Amino acid sequence: MRPFALNYARPAQQLEVSAPYAYDSRLQLNVFPDGRLAAHDYAVLRELGSTTSTAGSKTHFDD
Amino acid sequence: MTVLILTCEQDVTADMVVAELDRGAVPVVRLDPADLPGPVALSGEYVRGTFRGHLSVGGRLVSMGGLRSVWIRRPGAAASHAAEASDWLTEESAQALYGMLRSTDARWMNHPDAARRARHKPWQLSLAQRCGLPVPATLITTFPQAARDFADRFPDLVVKPVSGAHPQEPPRAVPTSRVAPDTDFAAVAFGPTLLQRRVVKRADIRLTCVGERMFAARKTVAPDADPDEVDVRFATSSALWQPVDTPSSVAAGVRTYLREAGLAFGAFDFAEDAEGMWWFLECNQSGQFGFVQIESGQPIAAAVADWLAAPPPPGPRPNGARAWAMEGH
Repeated sequence: MRPFALNYARPAQQLEVSAPYAYDSRLQLNVFPDGRLAAHDYAVLRELGSTTSTAGSKTHFDD
Repeated sequence: MTVLILTCEQDVTADMVVAELDRGAVPVVRLDPADLPGPVALSGEYVRGTFRGHLSVGGRLVSMGGLRSVWIRRPGAAASHAAEASDWLTEESAQALYGMLRSTDARWMNHPDAARRARHKPWQLSLAQRCGLPVPATLITTFPQAARDFADRFPDLVVKPVSGAHPQEPPRAVPTSRVAPDTDFAAVAFGPTLLQRRVVKRADIRLTCVGERMFAARKTVAPDADPDEVDVRFATSSALWQPVDTPSSVAAGVRTYLREAGLAFGAFDFAEDAEGMWWFLECNQSGQFGFVQIESGQPIAAAVADWLAAPPPPGPRPNGARAWAMEGH
C-alpha cells in the first residue's frame, strides 16, 4: 500500500550538525562567539548547507 | 516605518536581509510566530471604527500601523513553542497574529493567500502554460493504467512529489528520480503520483525574482554526469551557480506568472536542454536564495531588503481580499 513516489524515498540527511553560531535576539542575527555575523561568513554557510534548497525542508517545502 | 520578518531563529538567509536593512538604517522587527504566546506578544483593538495593534518581541514594541512590509520567510507554526502547545492554541494564535496583520496596509512578501495558492504544483504547471513557459509533459494520477499509457508515450520519465513535501516519521527525502523503463506502476493507486518527461538537461537554472528584478543563475551539468542524478539539490556536482542572462521570452512569461500569482517573490527552477530552451519545473514562492548569492555573487538579499524597505505606492491602499493580487509588484 506504499504510494509509488515513496519507492524513491531515501533517509533524510540529518543537518543537525551543531552550528558554530547562535541567535542574538538583540541584533536579530546569528553571530559567532567572537561577535562576527554568520551571514557574512560564506565559507561556513556553504560548509553547513545552511542556505541550500534542502535546508529547512522538514517544516517548509518551498525550496 | 518598520519591516516585519516572520521566520525562525536558525534562518541565516533571513540574516542576510536583516544585515542589509541594518546597513540602510531601516527599522526591522524579526520574530517567530512559534514564540507566540511567550517571547512574542500582541495586542490589537478595534474601537470607534479604527484598528490599532502592537507587537512585541525581545524588548521591541512596534505598532502594526507602522509596518511598511511583512516578509513571511520560514515562520514556525504559531504557538508551537508554547509551554502547553496544542492545535487549538496554534489556531488561536495564528488567527490573532495573521488576522491582525491582514488588518494593516503593509505590503506582503508574499501575501498568505497568494502563497497558499502558489504552493500547488498542479496549479503552477497550469499557470506556467498560460504564461507561455515551456512545461515538460506531465501526468498526475492515481490510475495505474494512465501511468502505463503515459510511460508508453514518454518512455523517459521522472517522478517527484506533488506537494514538494518530505515525509516524516521517519524523516525521508523524495528527490526527483528517474523511473526505470520496466517499472510496475501498480502503486500509483496508493497516492497521487506526478510523472514528468525527463528533460535531458545541460544545465539547471534558478531564476530568483524580487519584485521586478530578476537574478538568473546557471549550474552546468557535466557531459559525463550520471543521467540518474536528476535532482540538482541532491546531485554531487562540483559546478558553481553562475549568473546568466534571462531570455526575453522567459522573462516576459515569468513576469506574467508573478503578476497572475500575486507574488512579490518567486524562485523558479528550469531545466536547460541541449538547444538552450528553459523548461519550467516549478516556482517556489519562498525559495531559498542564500546558496545562489553565495556562489554567484548576485545581490539578492539586498534586492529583498530594497523591496521590503520601499515606501508604499501613492494613492489609496486597497486592503480587500484581492489586494495581494495587485501588491505583488
